[in-house]
Amino acid sequence: MSPRGRRLVGPGLVVLLVTSTLVAVAAGAVWISPWTSMQLFAWKLHLTGPPAGVLHSTSVILFQLRLPRVLLAAVVGAALATAGAVFQALFRNPMADPAIIGVSSGAALGAIVVILAGWGAALGGMGVSGAAFVGALATAFLVYRLARLGPSVQVATLLLAGIAVAAIISAAISLVMTFSGQEIRSIYFWLLGGLGARGWQSLAAVTPFVVGGMAVALLAARDLNLAALGEERAAQLGLEVDRFKVLMLATGALLTAAAVSVAGLIGFVGLMTPHILRLVVGSDHRRLVPASILGGAVFMILADLAARTLVRPEEIPVGAVTAVLGGPFFLYLLRRERRIAGAGV
Amino acid sequence: MPESEEGLVLEAVTAGYGIAPVVHEVSLEVARGAITGLIGPNGSGKTTLVRVASRGLAPRSGSVRVCGLDPYAIPAKQASRLLAVVPQDLAPAFSYSVLEMVMMGRSPYLSAWGGSGPEDWAQVRRAMAACNVQHLADRSLTDLSGGERQRVILAQALAQDAPVLLLDEPTTHLDLRHIVEALSLVRAMVREQGRAVLAIFHDLNLAAAYCDRLVALDRGRVVASGPPGAVVTRDLVRDVFGVEAEVSPAGSAGRPSVVVAPPVGLDRQPGARRAHVVGGAGRGAAVMRLLAERGFEVTVGVLHAGDTDDVVAERLNFQRVTVPPFSDIDARSAEECRALIGEASVLVVCDPPVGPGNLVNLRLSLDAARAGTRTVLLDQILMEERDFTRGEATGLWRALREVALVASNIEEVDQLVRAEQPTR
Repeated sequence: MSPRGRRLVGPGLVVLLVTSTLVAVAAGAVWISPWTSMQLFAWKLHLTGPPAGVLHSTSVILFQLRLPRVLLAAVVGAALATAGAVFQALFRNPMADPAIIGVSSGAALGAIVVILAGWGAALGGMGVSGAAFVGALATAFLVYRLARLGPSVQVATLLLAGIAVAAIISAAISLVMTFSGQEIRSIYFWLLGGLGARGWQSLAAVTPFVVGGMAVALLAARDLNLAALGEERAAQLGLEVDRFKVLMLATGALLTAAAVSVAGLIGFVGLMTPHILRLVVGSDHRRLVPASILGGAVFMILADLAARTLVRPEEIPVGAVTAVLGGPFFLYLLRRERRIAGAGV
Repeated sequence: MPESEEGLVLEAVTAGYGIAPVVHEVSLEVARGAITGLIGPNGSGKTTLVRVASRGLAPRSGSVRVCGLDPYAIPAKQASRLLAVVPQDLAPAFSYSVLEMVMMGRSPYLSAWGGSGPEDWAQVRRAMAACNVQHLADRSLTDLSGGERQRVILAQALAQDAPVLLLDEPTTHLDLRHIVEALSLVRAMVREQGRAVLAIFHDLNLAAAYCDRLVALDRGRVVASGPPGAVVTRDLVRDVFGVEAEVSPAGSAGRPSVVVAPPVGLDRQPGARRAHVVGGAGRGAAVMRLLAERGFEVTVGVLHAGDTDDVVAERLNFQRVTVPPFSDIDARSAEECRALIGEASVLVVCDPPVGPGNLVNLRLSLDAARAGTRTVLLDQILMEERDFTRGEATGLWRALREVALVASNIEEVDQLVRAEQPTR
């Protein structure tokens, strides 16, 4: 894309985010027109009085059900996409995704243990999320320690340690599920990922972590470009590589842990969003990281919208939606890019 | 740029990766305003030294100083403002534009918060213009040729604006014109801006031509250092690189050039048929090469020392008979040459200018031809035009034409020589 076209991507994504938010809060069992929602927002923000002719139940549906869910989708999507962008640069691999260092499987194990133990209601209903968060970070730390030989961590070793640990944990999860009896459905649903019935509480719990992680990623954007050149070259260009690696691993793990703790395992967003946006805005992380934040949010809002409206009143696991929507689009872009490159244009 | 007059100084550096160190007690100084070349065979420790100097591998013992500072004791950013590396190649994980790549060279000067300022843009523009890549600014690095990529990498390092520059085989992917351009650019920067450059070279001729000083490494130790003429010697090429080569001119003043003895002279088979070439003034060079390629053991003579044909014959390691420049062929040399011709199964007489000094060659040739030696004349230039003996040479040539085979160009020589082959 031309440099001029690239400049329109940022504003375009913001417009897309606002539009998809309005559409997502509008759609559902009860239709709430965007005009009504905007009136209600204005009233909640004390800009105007209560809108005339709007049912109280509409206001409840908007503020207690739809809005927190849509915002949570946005936060989760942004977190996963940012983590994906960070890991892809750090591992110098466009196929790296947020689950790469075992974070997702660690989160799953934590969540499942708590579900089976019946502690899900602890922490004011946040027991499962809390356990997933702890499990995710503990796994990331374990993988890092296992991969660490001598003074610094080799990225390739980290990758392999992550895969090995994730495989072990997955086996443990399968084993636990075999003996889980009637809880298997809730475990299964958690594993597929979903944003249903989380409410403001979840949003309030994860947003600080996600915003913090995104801020670090934005500030590290220039250094992520250097990291993409390889560790040795990055060091020659003034990057403290070892410190940077630890910081970025922690940031990516934190973002992923925050996302999976409230939304379960949602694949494809973190892998695909940075990849697609790279085709649009180029590889410079000073554009790619902000674009991934916005793009991940938009993508997740739309995927969750599809998940809860396509086969109403049933809900499809959002992870299945991201894969079904994202996979073909991703393949299309990939082939188009290769064809252009192949034609030498 | 910092004021320190010192460039890069390594003192008794021992460093390596595993248990055994790769470089042992290496001391070298890379002065401002000069190009220091690092030469040595593969595995001699050149790249390891560059890594030690560029803060990538802390030495086990010894010290490194860049502009008077220990790079391992200062932050990476500060170190990268003092010393820039030009790697052989870069493989970014994603596709970056040339402008983005060169701007990354400004990283040591930029904070996480701030954008690129006018000074950064000016340096980037200057570096891109110097490396002739400004027209590629929006192109993706992955779409460029190897030479263009290398110039982009050089531009990235130049944008770093560091007083010390390390080049890791900067010419690997460049064609001849770009090699000359890139090295001339580096030399101009060194002269005008007083930078210190340490460059790894595999090509000894380039190293000798562009460096002010050379340091030769062998198995991790410095085995020679000094001006190119004192370092690049026949002995060094043999002992360190294990190759027989001609190095000329010898002596410490010049910039020597190295010509590796080609394998034709080395794997000549014993008992090979011999061919003698009568040449001079470069007229015999092509014939000598041809005969060597056809498997003949070639002898040459009589030549004046330093004549083009003599130089070629020396490089090809042929047995030859020579007399001093501008002197007539003396009786002893003539007899020596007659003996060589006598042992040859084929004699090729080329068409150099003939004067009193080399007229003897034609007499020897005529004698051999009349005695039955298979003789081929290369008769490309009219004898009358190259006769400086007032007709005597022309007379001999006519007599030769009657008894010899005549070729009007090198291809015909090839055919006549080959036609002879199966019969023996």
